[in-house]
Amino acid sequence: MINALWNNLDYAASIVLFLIGLYAVIAKDNLIKKFMGLNIMETAIFAFIVALGVVDGGDAPIMGEGARAPFTNPIPQALILTGIVVAVSTTALALSLVIRIHKQCGTIEADELRELE
Amino acid sequence: MVLWPHWLVAVIIIPLTGAVLTPVVGRDRPKVASLWSLGTMALTSVAATMLIIRVAQEGPFSYMLGDWARPYGIELRFDEFSASVAIICLLGLLALMFSYRYVAASIHESRIPYYYSLLLLNLTGMIGFVVTGDLFNLFVFMEILSLSGYALVAISGERTAEMAAFKYLVMGAVSSLVVLFSVGLLYAVTGSLNMADISERLAGVTDRLPVMLALAGMAMAFMVKAALFPLHIWLPDAHAIAPSPVSAILSGLVVKTGVFGLLRAYQIFYGAGNYDLTGLNTALVWLGAISIVMGAFFAIFQEDIKMMLAYSTISNIGYIVMGLGLASQYGMIGATVHIFNHALIKATLFLGAGALIHKTGYRTLTDLRGVGKSMPLTCMALSIGAISIVGIPPTAGFLCKWYIALGAFQAGQPFFGFALVFGALFIFVYYIRMVNSFYFQQPTHPEILSVGEAPLSMLAPVLVLATLCLVMGILGRLPLSFIEPAVLRMLGTFGG
Repeated sequence: MINALWNNLDYAASIVLFLIGLYAVIAKDNLIKKFMGLNIMETAIFAFIVALGVVDGGDAPIMGEGARAPFTNPIPQALILTGIVVAVSTTALALSLVIRIHKQCGTIEADELRELE
Repeated sequence: MVLWPHWLVAVIIIPLTGAVLTPVVGRDRPKVASLWSLGTMALTSVAATMLIIRVAQEGPFSYMLGDWARPYGIELRFDEFSASVAIICLLGLLALMFSYRYVAASIHESRIPYYYSLLLLNLTGMIGFVVTGDLFNLFVFMEILSLSGYALVAISGERTAEMAAFKYLVMGAVSSLVVLFSVGLLYAVTGSLNMADISERLAGVTDRLPVMLALAGMAMAFMVKAALFPLHIWLPDAHAIAPSPVSAILSGLVVKTGVFGLLRAYQIFYGAGNYDLTGLNTALVWLGAISIVMGAFFAIFQEDIKMMLAYSTISNIGYIVMGLGLASQYGMIGATVHIFNHALIKATLFLGAGALIHKTGYRTLTDLRGVGKSMPLTCMALSIGAISIVGIPPTAGFLCKWYIALGAFQAGQPFFGFALVFGALFIFVYYIRMVNSFYFQQPTHPEILSVGEAPLSMLAPVLVLATLCLVMGILGRLPLSFIEPAVLRMLGTFGG
């Protein structure tokens, strides 16, 4: 068990990070903190998927002179590039919503907002 | 014409281009923005029609982007389930038409071009979601439709709209991440992102734990998107506060993408052939049954008409998910057709309610008393919608619920058949309340008797949808027999 965890430390770390983020999303009252939790979760998933493509001693998969196997798998990195774009737009939207909420209600604490409703 | 291979790309590219250009074309000219988006959607509908004719003639077909063969390239796949583009285009067109007058009154003028742009993006996301054959693309399209959905909820500018949108965004973003995680797991296990390819490779996978984890993650995440009972908390606020045409799209179509995602996950795992899905099926059937009852239960206590409709969506998602979970031929057919029919019915109801709110300015059942006398056509359409959603023959809701009930008996779980009928009775109670307050109660506000009928651009979509609710009840065999081969293919040896 310990051995398996040690060998897959990267995966285990991203799961732990994911759970930390999930905790923040659920437990924090401040909307910005909630959103930071979400960003932590995003990073965890990105790290997990990029780690999938890593090959021990692998080289960048650029063909041509001096290219030598083994190569790192480029697909997860390409996927995550798209994933980051999605995450950035989610963040932008959420932050603009937070600004609007603050303008309208004067607070961004979820418990105070609930009382206002 | 029908065989032109590029229709499958066109059906995504046309609305996407249209959406991006809307704020440019319609800058400071809300009318132009409206016409532009209608034109875009009409073109998209042409492409969708071609695709559906082709799939009816020759069965499922694929398009490889850039001619890269599977599994290297990105595949667009059009099967019978993808024929949901028909309902997406139809509701899109009608909602856009309805928006013309509605948003002019309820949204600030400078935002109107962005409103149309977002609505088109949302529709693009959904079309892409149903036609893609690639798991990562599925995620990207899901994000397009979700992000535009969050923004559309907030666009009305009402006081609680941003709060509702934020709640929706947090739940939606977490579930999207779980989908991405599951996609990553499946990629790690199979080395492919193409759904058909993953399905083939999964059959030979010996280490089942990560695969089951991926399935669980996808199921959970799509349940959030579909607003199944314990995960529904984001839905009522978001759907009630959004502008009515957006509510119609969100309730009729966007929550269905969650169900559709489940359907795709099922396709992958049924296709692999040697996975035992009984556990997931049982969970879905139970959650479906609980959703039906709880959704109806909450709806009974709602005063706000749109809130009531939003809770009713939870009930109906329950029906669909239950049909999927029964995994019998009839249940599955009923569920897939209910995706289509419920979209029609719920759009009728939300657009009808939107017309009432637009004309009278009231949104609670008490305030709306007596409106049946002053807006007879709209209220008639709403009543037809109510009858359909309860499932009284000969309306659209009847056949699919009947099939799902039959599916329960076919699967040897008659208890759920009874749960379904019980739920329908519950639903009957609160829709009767609505109809009752429209026609048979003394008006709370006497001036409501003097408001006129809704303008044509609002009335026409509502009446078209109400007519379709009736027509689909009478021609119900059509979608049923259309979807049957796909369901049989998917269930393979499982359902028999």
